[in-house]
Amino acid sequence: MNLRKEFTKGFVKENPVFIMALGLCPTLAVTSSVENAIGMGLAATFVLTCSNMIISLIKNLIPDKIRIPCFIIVIASFVTIVDLSMNAYKPEIHKSLGLFIPLIVVNCIILGRAEAFASKNKLLPSLLDGLGMGLGFTLALVLIGSIREILGAGLWLGMKVMPDAYIDSPMLVAILAPGAFIIMGLLMGLIKLVNKGK
Amino acid sequence: MKYFLKLGFVLLLITVIASGILAFVNDLTKDRISENKEVAQKEARAKLFLQPVSFEENIINLPAKEQEINPLKKFEEPDSLEFVYYVGYNESGELDGYDESDELVGYCFMDSLYGYSSEVKTMVAVGLDFNVLKIDVIDQLETPGLGAKADTPDFEERFIGKNLSQMKVKKDGGKIKAITGATITSRTVTQSIAEGLKKLKKALGREAE
Repeated sequence: MNLRKEFTKGFVKENPVFIMALGLCPTLAVTSSVENAIGMGLAATFVLTCSNMIISLIKNLIPDKIRIPCFIIVIASFVTIVDLSMNAYKPEIHKSLGLFIPLIVVNCIILGRAEAFASKNKLLPSLLDGLGMGLGFTLALVLIGSIREILGAGLWLGMKVMPDAYIDSPMLVAILAPGAFIIMGLLMGLIKLVNKGK
Repeated sequence: MKYFLKLGFVLLLITVIASGILAFVNDLTKDRISENKEVAQKEARAKLFLQPVSFEENIINLPAKEQEINPLKKFEEPDSLEFVYYVGYNESGELDGYDESDELVGYCFMDSLYGYSSEVKTMVAVGLDFNVLKIDVIDQLETPGLGAKADTPDFEERFIGKNLSQMKVKKDGGKIKAITGATITSRTVTQSIAEGLKKLKKALGREAE
């Protein structure tokens, strides 16, 4: 098994958002600014890596018929532990990321990777798969977030990138919910087109 | 039959282990979490006044019908609700805390209402004339990029110097400019401040002003 390939496949070739179309709910919801996108992406990467590891460790103990509820319990407990300990020991980080942590439980990338990869593979490949998929997810969120924030607010990571006249009356639709659908659809189509050309 | 019992048993085992771990972590962290919240509130109170201020805590029970009760929580209507407010004194005296030479500078209270997707908590400082000195939205989980902007100084500044009669968003005939795309959140913050102001006036017996 090629370990490097397990790690890098999540970036473009099997990107969870653009290719597999997983985890679209958080993708649409939190990409209104780059800062939120990075926060959600990194928090999800952390949980995904850890839950992949634990599930690959206990995969032989779980009967096949009830694997899904078992995975959900593992993921939900893990998210709650992260939420509580971050709230207690790193309140300043929790203040900016706390919003996204409960959303991770319902992120289907995590359940998807547990089901498709971690429950069939050993510890190390599962860890790399989780890390790579998480970073691919982050990458996709930052890309969508950048476009939405630049068009919808004239800012990038809170810095001014457009002339003042644009910031006063930006293309507000980009930052609202319809903008998320439009921009994600266009990006997905573009990536399909590029892949087809190869 | 035996197989299905085994499935149930495994699921039970996993749930028991998971909830055991969670109970342990919760026990470990809950004191620190509430401590953090208290420290954050104390800091938020201190930041609302320009000068160093010491606070005296007052708790008063107001009849429940005076309170705006969240429609989602109707089942737990109590007879009276606690309202906590803080009286701020200028720290001129030698002693830490309140003493006779300290001058009354204003009041501070916290109120919350349910907004678009979460409970929005706002800390408010008012002067002796009941005009808002400063507000701070200390707790909210509104939509990122829209309602969550209530947390920014840009929005919080819009309340400075406003009194109770102006405490409505412009759409409803008041003086507060709502956040674009987040009228519900803006209305929630504005309403909770207005409610809190009413409660404060009632608690101080100065409803006429």
